[in-house]
Amino acid sequence: MNILEFLTSTWTFEPWVLITAFLLLITYGAASGFRFTRKTALLTAGTALMVIAVVSPLDYLGRNYLFSAHMIQHILLLLIVPLLLLLGLPESAARKALAVKPLGSIMGILGNPVIAWSLGVGSMWVWHMPSLHDAVLRNETLYIAQQISFVFIGAIFWWPVFAPVKERRLEPLRSTLYLASACLGCTVLGILITFAGAGLYAAYLSPVDSAGILPYLRNDLCLTPGVDQQIGGLTMWVPGCLIYLTASMITIAEWYGSADSGGLTSAGARSGSRESGQNLQPAER
Amino acid sequence: MSSRIPIVPENTEPLPRLRENEGMLSWVASVDHKQIGIMYLICCMVFFLIGGLEALLIRIQLAQPEFGFLSPEVYNQMFTMHGTTMIFFVVMPFLIGVGVYLVPLMIGARDMAFPRLNALSFWLFVFGGILIYYSFLTQSGAPDVGWFAYSPLSEKPFSLNKGPTYWALGLLATGIGSVASGLNNVVTILTMRTPGMTMRRLPLFVWMILVTSFLLIFVIPIITSAFAMMLLDRLLGATFFTPAHGGSAILWQHFFWGFGHPEVYILILPAFGIISEVIPVFSRKPIYGYEFVAGSTVAIGLLSLGVWVHHMFAVGLGDVTNLYFSFASMLIAIPTGVKVLNWVATMWGGKIIFATPMLFATAFIIEFVIGGLTGVAIASVPIDWVVTDSYFIVAHFHYALFGGSLFAIFAGVYYWFPKFTGRMMSETLGKWHFWLTVIGFNLTFFIQHFLGMMGMPRRTYTYHDFPYWGSMNLISTIGAIVLAVSVLVFVWNILQSLKRGEKAGGNPWNAWTLEWATTSPPAVHNFDLVPPVRGRRPLWDLAHPDMPDEPDAKVV
Ligand code: HEM
Ligand SMILES: [Cu+2]
Repeated sequence: MNILEFLTSTWTFEPWVLITAFLLLITYGAASGFRFTRKTALLTAGTALMVIAVVSPLDYLGRNYLFSAHMIQHILLLLIVPLLLLLGLPESAARKALAVKPLGSIMGILGNPVIAWSLGVGSMWVWHMPSLHDAVLRNETLYIAQQISFVFIGAIFWWPVFAPVKERRLEPLRSTLYLASACLGCTVLGILITFAGAGLYAAYLSPVDSAGILPYLRNDLCLTPGVDQQIGGLTMWVPGCLIYLTASMITIAEWYGSADSGGLTSAGARSGSRESGQNLQPAER
Repeated sequence: MSSRIPIVPENTEPLPRLRENEGMLSWVASVDHKQIGIMYLICCMVFFLIGGLEALLIRIQLAQPEFGFLSPEVYNQMFTMHGTTMIFFVVMPFLIGVGVYLVPLMIGARDMAFPRLNALSFWLFVFGGILIYYSFLTQSGAPDVGWFAYSPLSEKPFSLNKGPTYWALGLLATGIGSVASGLNNVVTILTMRTPGMTMRRLPLFVWMILVTSFLLIFVIPIITSAFAMMLLDRLLGATFFTPAHGGSAILWQHFFWGFGHPEVYILILPAFGIISEVIPVFSRKPIYGYEFVAGSTVAIGLLSLGVWVHHMFAVGLGDVTNLYFSFASMLIAIPTGVKVLNWVATMWGGKIIFATPMLFATAFIIEFVIGGLTGVAIASVPIDWVVTDSYFIVAHFHYALFGGSLFAIFAGVYYWFPKFTGRMMSETLGKWHFWLTVIGFNLTFFIQHFLGMMGMPRRTYTYHDFPYWGSMNLISTIGAIVLAVSVLVFVWNILQSLKRGEKAGGNPWNAWTLEWATTSPPAVHNFDLVPPVRGRRPLWDLAHPDMPDEPDAKVV
């Protein structure tokens, strides 16, 4: 098989993916009265990316040939798709949904920064344990569970930063800290994978060449197992962190764009009283 | 929110007071942030003179090919001590020290959150410096393994002398002090602001100190643990960094640069802060794009944590690794470029007053852009492979560190000297200092770009008589002598102005931030009354009640 045939023939149109995407878009359309807004664009882009990540040759490559392809898919499903979906949710609908008792309190718990952070960063670490990753590649059900968990956990991870309901968000400086520490978590894992030396994930060492493209990958693209694993580790490390960084820039920009309602300042107001007796009052005018 | 538990415990017993008649003890025992700040500045000045002298000796040795002024051994000690001193005992503590002096004043507080910790940080820095310099008195002399102390050269089999041990111990001590001042700054800035001083109204200098402090807290521990491992290797026979016994020499490089690259931002961000205070005041305009300057600082801080591998392009980590880090390093140019544009836009159309602080700030922009551009160039792997470990790199980081950080430090000294001492510095001597510095600096370092491209390696004590090398190096050495003269002018200016300088009054530059709202020098308790803060320029608002910066701001 040459590479063009490979790229055209390895789309796997899993019905459950398409149906989910379709239902998602229909529900969303119905809820928002089929008006096209910026949020609609974000949600549609998120859905489309999700479908592409799961049905395109990327998926095939990641499962059969390349760790780096798996990692790109991982970043898409865990960091980019859920972010777009979350940003696409209209505030009013989210408010209504959160008013429903169990959902609201579940999100209250899962959206707790400590829990959301641990889930998000934890899912990076846990799914990349070599033994688990090998098991995932061998077991279809586990594989599907993994993909689904990426999107859900991703949404939970982004919740404290970009929840559609403003009062559930962290203050911008806190969310910068939240994201920076998550970046640190990924960095450490990325470092481990990048510098571990080839063969951390045994399945990619000598793939079964089911599509006949292995010589092309190995010889023409020079993607030896070592290089492949490095690209994977670096993808989690560098672009992964850039996503967190961009997100924190966005929150800071929004913060400066909004009216000054204090942010973190209650502390300042307090220090005034704490310091009393030391002549620290505002002067009268 | 309002029911939050204060992070800072109340002082139950009163802090020690300084009294006039206690003389030196009132300084040594002081926990007052202003006194500690001044002591930082004085110590930095002393270290600056020592480090400068070492640089001069290095340059004299290089003035001619095959010159025998310094022996190779002493030469190695000189460049090691010069680099270590300038980075850890001049630029870094200076910026921390100005921060310690100014942050509480700028946010309208009485002192730092943890005054005693503040004193501890300072004394650890002094102690570390003494420890390192004490190594000169040992039999085997000072450390001679470079300020990066690459293993295995710095390991026992290759360096039997005690220098590197003193080096690691001294830096370990100062490092602990730096983490403590990072924590102290963060807590102070987050919890001690006067009412109305919201995070979005923080003076940019304070903002940059905040970001720098987070960097300190995150990255100093990397190198501190590496020092501990190196000491274990050297003293107890561990083998963390010796490949012959199963350790890894590359690991040291990762630790060192994992700290080292963010460190260069620890050295430059507060300098950006100084520039962001000086330029608006002397352009008589508010800073252009406060939000961008502040926001891009956070971006720089975060990016700087993840690009250290660009110091290791020649190590052989693989093309892919190099490629990713080359790309990430170049990204830093974006937020940095934004800042430069903001400063230029602030000056644009302003009524610029070229007093000495402004002269240094303007020169800072130009020199730093040169250093930044060569930085972006060597972030490209093929270019780096050609010039790495050559004098091109020496030129690059001196444009960033001297043309950048140190020029900003000079700007800051001229700007805040009236606040520190109550007297103005002499403008005439200041202009002499400025022009001698600009000429000397460019004479010394610009030509090194070409020497580097012609292949002159750094960290070697002499060179063969290749065509032009001798004369180009001589030019560089002449530049260094001009710089030495400029430093003498600077010191003379300080001493003279301390005695005879014009009285400054509270706000000689007509500036707008809170430190100028009190007397010069400020009283022990800093402020009698803190003016109300309703915008980013409280003193402007106070003087112009009819046209405040934020007309809609609520009175707090
Ligand atoms: C635009 C931003 C910058 C970039 C892209 C950059 C890039 C680089 C690179 C790639 C090197 C390694 C060269 C080699 O050893 O082969 C280097 C060295 C160095 N840079 Fe920068 N740099 C930047 C800004 C700065 C700043 C702001 C400072 C300090 C305030 C600085 C200080 C240094 C120092 C001290 C070294 C030499 C380290 C050694 O001893 O090997 N750089 N820079
Ligand atoms: Cu660097």
